[in-house]
Parts: sequence; structure tokens; C-alpha cells
Amino acid sequence: MSEPCILLVEDNADDAFLASRIVKKVCNERIVVVRDGEEALDLLAQMEQDGSHTLVRLVLLDLKLPKLSGLDVLKTIRRSPQLRDLPVVVLTSSDNDLDQERCRELGVIDYIFKPMTAERLQLALSEGERSRPAFSG
Amino acid sequence: MSLLPYDISGITLLYVEDEADARTMVSKMLVLNYPKLKLLSAENGAVGLELYREHSPDLVVTDINMPVMDGIRMAREIKAINPEAIIMAVTAHSDTSYLLSAIEIGIHYYILKPVNYEELFSVTDKILEQIVLKQVVADVNLRIVESQMQLAMAQRIAHLGSWQRDLGDGSMNWSDELYRIFGFEPGALTASYQAFLDMFVPDDREAIKQAIREAVENREPVAPHFCRIVRPDGTQRVLRVEAEVLLDGTGIPSMMYGTSHDVTELKQAEERIRLLTGDLERQVIQRTSLLQATVRELENFSYVVSHDLRAPVARLEGFCQALVEDCQGCSNRSCTQYAQRAQQVVRQVKHIIDAFNNLSHYARCSMVIDEVDLSAVARAIATAFQQSEPERRVEFAINEGVAVKGDRRLLQIALEHLLGNAWKFTSRRDAARIEFGQMNEGEGRVFFVRDNGAGFDMKYVNKLFKPFQTIHSPGEYTWDGTAIGLATVHSIILRHGGRIWAEGEVDRGATFYFTLSPNPEPGSFLEDVSSL
Repeated sequence: MSEPCILLVEDNADDAFLASRIVKKVCNERIVVVRDGEEALDLLAQMEQDGSHTLVRLVLLDLKLPKLSGLDVLKTIRRSPQLRDLPVVVLTSSDNDLDQERCRELGVIDYIFKPMTAERLQLALSEGERSRPAFSG
Repeated sequence: MSLLPYDISGITLLYVEDEADARTMVSKMLVLNYPKLKLLSAENGAVGLELYREHSPDLVVTDINMPVMDGIRMAREIKAINPEAIIMAVTAHSDTSYLLSAIEIGIHYYILKPVNYEELFSVTDKILEQIVLKQVVADVNLRIVESQMQLAMAQRIAHLGSWQRDLGDGSMNWSDELYRIFGFEPGALTASYQAFLDMFVPDDREAIKQAIREAVENREPVAPHFCRIVRPDGTQRVLRVEAEVLLDGTGIPSMMYGTSHDVTELKQAEERIRLLTGDLERQVIQRTSLLQATVRELENFSYVVSHDLRAPVARLEGFCQALVEDCQGCSNRSCTQYAQRAQQVVRQVKHIIDAFNNLSHYARCSMVIDEVDLSAVARAIATAFQQSEPERRVEFAINEGVAVKGDRRLLQIALEHLLGNAWKFTSRRDAARIEFGQMNEGEGRVFFVRDNGAGFDMKYVNKLFKPFQTIHSPGEYTWDGTAIGLATVHSIILRHGGRIWAEGEVDRGATFYFTLSPNPEPGSFLEDVSSL
């Protein structure tokens, strides 16, 4: 992996399709889709080893995932010294206030109720750039 | 005039004397000496007898030798009428031959002629004293008999038997009703302490025996004991036994007086109430857990609606959005239009999910009970409405000082919906007026929100408080998308232990009334249920 990418963690094919469609409207970044929390962490661990994790411009993270939840994935990312600065945007259709609160505490760029709009993603990408000045792009 | 130490009014004396002078003189003296006495006089035995028959005098004073009918014959006739009649003979020395027959007839008193008044009064005093004493004794006897009857009746009616036990010789006395309570005819067996104890079932016998023994030892009353007896016919009764100890002059217990009250029916009623209460409690617990289960199901259902349904609806929204965007260049203009309309529908579905979620949330969230100034809440809401549409002219009449106990947040939501409806349905009035206030009705305070807007037909009144029901046609008034406002209000009022109802008339406005419990229960019934 040598190009910048956007990591989409989403188990539902329709939601993955809709999110990818918006991403394609906003940027040319490659989209890497994983289907559950465990897969997401495995991939991130692998990227961490070969250093490609720095190429991830944004993690679009669904909360309700098989195996490991989005929240668990987020916590693991924040605990890892290498990964903790990854810009994460939560995508959800739940209106659980507690989830939102905990995600905000764990430092997410945005907490977006599905469906995501192009404007919102654009803002998140810009915010992601700012939060990671070291990112080489 | 002799001063008698007793009252002789009501006593009648008949005086019979043929000699007019003597009759007048003695009569005068009698009246003078006994002014309260009723005096009758007659000139011979026949007239005297006539008067006796008519007046039944208490005392007859008679001459013996008289024309027409002499004193002896008259006395005999009078004795025939009333053997107890008291007769005093006034005789001359020459009449002594009559004396024997006079005594035989029952003339117990006599004085000699010429009348010595001192003697006459002395004998009369004695007789009067006897008559009065007899009357007093008769009166007292009558009263004793009456109160005995009264006591017996009272005991019988109340099923209250009494007894007394002589602690010296050990003898015992039972009232008639006590015999009946024990299942015997009064006097059918000899009352004794042992017989008394034998009436009770063995388990209770020891208890009452001990209580009586301790009462005598400690010179204290026997506290009420509930004991069972068995009657000769085998029926069991419950008695409430109480007693007191009487001490003699030296402080030694001499007598014990007790009552035994047949409280079988009372005890049975008590037992029935106890069983009913137990049943009721079981029912309440059963139904509460049933309710709890139902509510949990409902909670599950609303969880499904709010979470599982949200995801596909969001997906649908996403696809609609994609359609709207991608159809922009489409030659068929209907495509864009359909996509936009589909998008609208999805938004409505989202509204309904939110409203449904809120409704179930208000119905089960935990309540915090505070003093709430409803007037202030209503004023704030009115101000917000006026600021949202400053061009509208609406007069708000809000009663001051409407303070209640309740959950501030929930009550505010209820008032927002009620005033919001009033605001909405007066939108076509030039002089709109919205009122909030309270009245004192029989059942307590009734709060109301009244408007002079579109009103409604009373035949739809039952639809008003049901969720997702609307009685106004589409386009009539701006639709908030859910028609759930009044259902929410209903739920909030119910949670405050109140009720809500409405009155209206088409084009004449509507009034919503509600009550609130003076002390609504805090928390949530779900929590209460789980703690049961």
C-alpha cells in the first residue's frame, strides 16, 4: 500500500455502497472496505507494521458491527501509540446519546447520522488534515 | 301542721262521717295539717263506697255507726275490692261491740270519738309514712326489674355474657346470656369455675386459666383474650374474655367480674377481609408483573422501531438522495420529482419514529417531582410562539399563580403541545385568544387551555388523544407530521395521576381540561415493579 486511502468499516452492503458513493464525489482516494470490527483491527495492525497506517486519511466507522463494535475499535485505536492520531468519523443510524457522548470523548472528528452528505464528509476531511499536521499526504 | 319528711302529694284520703259538723271540722283540720293531701268526704258508707270505687283512695277514715250503710259494711265491701286497702275507724265508746268484726275485716287502725286531733294526726302520719315507703319500694323494685331486663336484653343483643367469681368460696355466677353463649338454657347446669374453664378448647383453656391466675396474683385486670369454646352441639365459637379483680377493704382480691363476648362473626369477617386482602395483594403483584412484562415487550418493540428501523430508513434516505442527485441530468422530469417525493416520505417516516420514541419515552421515563409554576411555564411558551410568528395578533390570558407538584420537564412538554395546538388552530382568527387557567371543581383543581380557534366536532372527541390520529383533513392546517401531540399530553397527565378531556365546537374553539394528582409519584413504575 503506497497511496493514501479512506478506510470504511461497514457491515451493510447498501450503507457501504452509499458511503463509497459520497466519498467518490468528494475525493479520489482509494476506499478500503472492511466488514467487521475484528477485520478492521487486523488490517490496522498490519498497516501499523509496514507503516502504511499513515496513508489512511480518514476512518469512516459504523458503530453497530459484528464481532467487535465500532466503539471497541475506536477505543483500541486510541490506546495504540501508533494509531491514536488516526482521524475517525463515526457513521450511525442510532440516536443513542450515550454512544455519541463516549465517541466525542474518545476524540472523533465528527459523529454523522446516516446518510452522510458530501458537505459533511468534505468538512471532516479538512478537519482530518488539520488534526494531523505530520501527515505526509 | 305536721312536717312530714316525705312527699305525700298524690295520696288520696277518703273521710266518711254522717254528722255534718264533725265532718266539716275534721275535714278542715285534715286539710290544714296535710295541705298536699287530696281529701274526699262522704256522709255515709254507701256514698263512701261509691267514691272508693271511683277514686281508689290510699287511706279510708270512717265512722262506724252511720245511716244507709255503716262503716263496717262499707269496710267489708272495700276489702272485697282491694284486700290491701288501709282503713282507719273513728269510733265512739258505744261502738266497741263492732271492734271484733272490725279487726276481722282488716281495719287495723282506730281512734276514739270525740276526735283528739293529735292522736288522729299521729296515726295518720304513721299510715302516710307506710304508704309513701311502699310506693318508694315499689318504684325501686320496678326500676331494678327494668334495668335487669335491659341488661339481659343488651347482653342478648350484643352476645355479651357476664360472670362473677367469688374468690373466697370459689362460687361462680353466670348471666343468662353466658349460658346461651355456652350453648345451654340459662341455669341448665351449675355454674362453677371448673365448668367455665371446661367450655374452652384445651389449647385456649390453659391460656385463660393462666391469665386469670396472674390477674388475681398481680391484682390487675385480665387483658382481652380471644378463646375458642365448643358448644354441646359441636359448633365452635370465639369469645373475647375480659375481667377485673375487686379487692376487699384490706386489699385482698375478693371477687372477679368478667365478660365473655361472642365475637365469632366478627372474627369470621376479619378472616374474610384478611383473605381478601391477601388475594388482592397477590392479584396486584400478579397484574403488576403482567403489566411489567407488557411494558418490557413494548420497550423492546420501541427499541426495534428506534434502532433497527432507523438503519433501513437511513439507507432509504441515502438512496433517495442519490436518486435526486443522479437524476438531475435525466431527460424524464418525473424521475427527479418522484425521487424528491420519495425523499419527503422518508422524512415523514423519520418524524414518526422520533415521535413514537418520544411518546414511549415520556410514558416510562423517571419523574422528578418539584413545585412547578405552570403560569410561568405557560408565559414562557406563549412568548416563544409570539416571537416565532411576530406578525400574528394573539391575546394570551394566563392565570397567575397556578402552582402544582409534578415533573417540570414533562409538564412543560404537555403545555407546549396544548398551547401549540391552540396557537395552530387559531391561525385563521383575526382576534385570536388563548387562555390558560385553573378552576376549583368538586374533585379538586381543574386546569384548562382554551382557544377560540377552529374547534372540533364533538363526535370525534374520542379520537383526539390517540396517537397517529388526526381529525383535520390534510392541508387544513400545517401538519406537524405525526399527530402525536395530544397522545403525548395524555400520557404525561396519566403519569401525574390526572385525567384529560376536551370540549369543542366547529369554528367556536376548543377547551382542553386536565387534572393532576396533588402528590404524583416520583420515579417510574417500571422501577417500582422491579423492586417488588
